Amino acid sequence: MFLIENVYATSEEPIVATAEHTTQPAGDEGVAASLGINAQLFGFQLLNFAIVAGIVWFLILKPLTKTMEERKKLIDDSIDNAKAVETNLQMSEVKFQEKLDEAKVEANKIIEKSHTEAEKLSVDMKEKAKKEIEMLIDQAKRNIQTEKENMMSEIKKETVNLIIAAVEKIMNEKLDDKKDVALIEETLRSFRSVS
Amino acid sequence: MSSEIHIPPLAPEVVFHIGNINITNTMINAWIAIIIFLVLGIVLKRAIRLRPGKLQNWCEYFLEAVLGYFDGVTGNRKKTVKFLPIVGSIFFFVLLSNWLGLLPGTGSITVGHNMLLRPANTDLNLTLAMALVSVIGSHVYAFIAIGVFTHLGKFFQIKNFIKSFAQFKHGIADGAIAVFTALIEFAVGLIEIMSEIAKVVSLSLRLFGNIFAGEVLISVISALVAALVPTPFMLLELLVGLIQAAVFSMLTIVYLTVATSAPHGAEEH
Repeated sequence: MFLIENVYATSEEPIVATAEHTTQPAGDEGVAASLGINAQLFGFQLLNFAIVAGIVWFLILKPLTKTMEERKKLIDDSIDNAKAVETNLQMSEVKFQEKLDEAKVEANKIIEKSHTEAEKLSVDMKEKAKKEIEMLIDQAKRNIQTEKENMMSEIKKETVNLIIAAVEKIMNEKLDDKKDVALIEETLRSFRSVS
Repeated sequence: MSSEIHIPPLAPEVVFHIGNINITNTMINAWIAIIIFLVLGIVLKRAIRLRPGKLQNWCEYFLEAVLGYFDGVTGNRKKTVKFLPIVGSIFFFVLLSNWLGLLPGTGSITVGHNMLLRPANTDLNLTLAMALVSVIGSHVYAFIAIGVFTHLGKFFQIKNFIKSFAQFKHGIADGAIAVFTALIEFAVGLIEIMSEIAKVVSLSLRLFGNIFAGEVLISVISALVAALVPTPFMLLELLVGLIQAAVFSMLTIVYLTVATSAPHGAEEH
């Protein structure tokens, strides 16, 4: 044991600092030995460090870095997927909007077409109705005409029958000049009124 | 009446023997760290899920923060993960070992005249072992990444030296300049070899020195005033522990990054 110096904490109680080998001369052992370097100890400390390095790397650092790397990859993949999904969604929205616009245009066209067709149809129907009405009127006129002609022929027949009856009656009566003239005039009048 | 301040010696103290093997107090601290990592590792490996639990969440948060700093040196996450077996192990082991040294019992529990527990990084054997792993690891990575001969060519620049003789056909002056340049490059290569040794020495001594100094400081302060006064120093040591872990691992990742990058001019061909 080698005394370095005396340090007094109190006047009564001196504290003596001691150190073993601290200032021992190197002597035959040399500088390395004075610093505590020893082949056996060095070997054991190297082994200790090798064990520590093995434990720290294989049990702590390697699993941690591997997990962190896996997680990073997972997060990166997830972000990439999310971006892809977002891009797809945006594209779908654009397509959806395009389809919607197309559908609107198509719908407008259909509405326009239906309007045009409806107008055309109404015009056609009006035309048809007009024609039918005209046809009905013509038919009615023709019927009236036929009726008229039938009536005229009936009247003529009746007139002829009347004349025949009248003639037959006159023939049966003695006619004087006056009656004869009156009869002829009356007959002519009746013809005129009929015609 | 006098009480002694026990200042820890430079060499770790032998607590007991297993056969011919000396078991030191720093080794016990390293074993405690190993047990903590083992328990944490087993629990974590069983509980690891894509949807993390509380423990996994904390571990991932801490790891993500550390990886962010490493990414700043390597330039990309892929490279960082490639170097993580060495750099990550160094960072977390150094950090835990340093912080374990602040737990109650370290320095105060004694076996005979020796402390039972002592921060693992106050043992130069351990810091030297880690520094060697760091520097040798950087060369192994470099052999794999850029090829054995390309990497060795950074240190033994004989190729340029041989090529320089061909410059004599353009004239004696050109040849002489080329040979002189090649000689300088050869010397620079040899200096690079020395710098590799310096890397090991500086890495190991820096960590050892800082943690040992902290241990001595806390021992002295605790011996002078047992209560409250050592607390700020212990908080300071928490910071020192983190800084030293960061420095050691950052330097390691710098060495790895530099070693695995192609030498100047090689990428042009």
